[in-house]
Amino acid sequence: MATLMVFPLVTTIVLSFNRIFLRDLSHREWIGFANYTDVLSDPDFWDAVQLTTLFVVTVVPIHLALGFGIASLLDRVVRGRKMYMALLLLPFIVTPVVGTLMVRDLFDRGGLLAWLWEVLTDDPFVITSGNVKWILIIHGIWSTTPFAVIVFFAGMQTLPGERLEAAEIDGAGFWAKQRFVMIPHLRSLIIFVLLISIMDSYRAFDSAFVFGQSVGKSAHTVMVYNFDVALRGQFGRIGKGSAIAVITIIGIFVVLIPFLRKSYKEQIAER
Amino acid sequence: MKQLRSYSKTAGIHGALLAVIIVSSVPFYWAAQTSIKFTRDTIRRKPTLWGFDVTADPYRKFWFVDEEQNMWAVGLFFLALGAVIAAILFIRKRCETTWPLTLAVLGSLWVALNLFPKTFDMNREFDYFVNSIFVTVLTVIISISIGMLAGYGLARYSGLSGAVILIVALGFRALPRTAFVLPYFYVAKELGILDSRLVIVLALVAVNQPFTIWMLRSFFMEVPREIEEAAMIDGATRLQAFRMVVVPMMWPGIIATSLFTLLLAYNEFLFVRVLAVTNWTLPVAISALAGGDSATTVTEGAAAAVSITLPIVIMIIIFQKHLVKGLGAGAVKG
Repeated sequence: MATLMVFPLVTTIVLSFNRIFLRDLSHREWIGFANYTDVLSDPDFWDAVQLTTLFVVTVVPIHLALGFGIASLLDRVVRGRKMYMALLLLPFIVTPVVGTLMVRDLFDRGGLLAWLWEVLTDDPFVITSGNVKWILIIHGIWSTTPFAVIVFFAGMQTLPGERLEAAEIDGAGFWAKQRFVMIPHLRSLIIFVLLISIMDSYRAFDSAFVFGQSVGKSAHTVMVYNFDVALRGQFGRIGKGSAIAVITIIGIFVVLIPFLRKSYKEQIAER
Repeated sequence: MKQLRSYSKTAGIHGALLAVIIVSSVPFYWAAQTSIKFTRDTIRRKPTLWGFDVTADPYRKFWFVDEEQNMWAVGLFFLALGAVIAAILFIRKRCETTWPLTLAVLGSLWVALNLFPKTFDMNREFDYFVNSIFVTVLTVIISISIGMLAGYGLARYSGLSGAVILIVALGFRALPRTAFVLPYFYVAKELGILDSRLVIVLALVAVNQPFTIWMLRSFFMEVPREIEEAAMIDGATRLQAFRMVVVPMMWPGIIATSLFTLLLAYNEFLFVRVLAVTNWTLPVAISALAGGDSATTVTEGAAAAVSITLPIVIMIIIFQKHLVKGLGAGAVKG
């Protein structure tokens, strides 16, 4: 397993120091850090970083809050719970590419939301390079919230009812109960979902790729930018693409090191 | 008075949940109703919400060579298949040994898959569908077999292994796919095995394996060691104890893990897009359809979306309980 993980990584790192093109892979040339300086001075890269950052800082907190809210609603009903759950799961299980196309169709000409927009504002709605990032974010929230709901819901089910009752007797209102009983109980789950969602929104690819097909670079997250540089057409620059990959790896680990250290410690403490 | 208040509170909660599921399922409803419309009804600014003419043309265009394909015949085919499977399931309920009949269900699905393109004249898309199934089934079988053995071992001889596996699994999840896809592409191209379905399976297994092992391990931890020991005292070998005692207790865990692997393989886009030249799977096919410059219509795209989504929706309806449990279990312990 180590080979499966380490070998590709080492290959990526090695390739990132080479000039190597898609059309002729056997021809490569060591060029040191030139690929890296090339990436870091590429305005497209910084645009992609900006979009990815915006995506992460909006999708992650909003979907956590929504997930928590919906899960506590689900926790309070018994009748119809199964049906709610089944319909909620849909955005989570659907093929991301397909889900994106479905959401896009809502905003496209003749789509439900485009039409609603026109009714409300009297302007026709068109997906442009300006508003595409918001649609990406809406899709991101739509597709990730179910996961948070199910995980939080599973956690809430393990909370003994007496604790909430005890808090109620002590005079805790709705918010106090959430704040002092529910959230501490779900703490590790919240961290888990946070971790997963940061990883997943950081590497958002499928939806941005689909939107990129219609509006071009303004929908490019770092992953799509990376794909575009490395593999698009005959001009694919594998070397530069690998350099971007290495930079993104460093990026995600800088973000995640505190989390990884913590979960490692917890695993050790369990023994 | 108090009762009235609690009634209105429940009603409020149900109202909120209804709003939530409307938001979560409206794109599906929209795609489904678009897929049975004529194009002329979809390009208007104001969508026709009801009273439109219903047609199967989008599906014909997506799946069949013959655009006049008789859809009643196709329906009849599925009806016959459904009847066969229902009959087998009916018999299975009354039998004691169920595995031959489970095999029979799988067998009839396989026969149907082979018979279908012989009966009807299919587009390329059907090949992509077959590829999707091939890649998904093989990825699930291989990952689960490796994961079972590794997960069992790690659950029983635990030292630091759990922590290490967890970190590797998380690391794999954290790493951008592009960090893996480029070397895979490079090696596959150099070896001249690009565009083979097996390379895709291999890549998917490799990327997903730590997660499978970790998840199965946490399910194995739930099976008490004493049960196995009891079996071994009764004269079973370790392998027999594993096969006849542990595995039967593990079914919910195996199903849950298989479902996640299945979703991952069936939904995978980037790896297939890069490692396959012509041997696409459905997600790549539909993205090409939607992004291409060919005159594809919204209705055909919607028909494709519905066709791709339907198989997983059926799977999830059958196994919803396991999926929810798996998500809960994997997370609560993690």
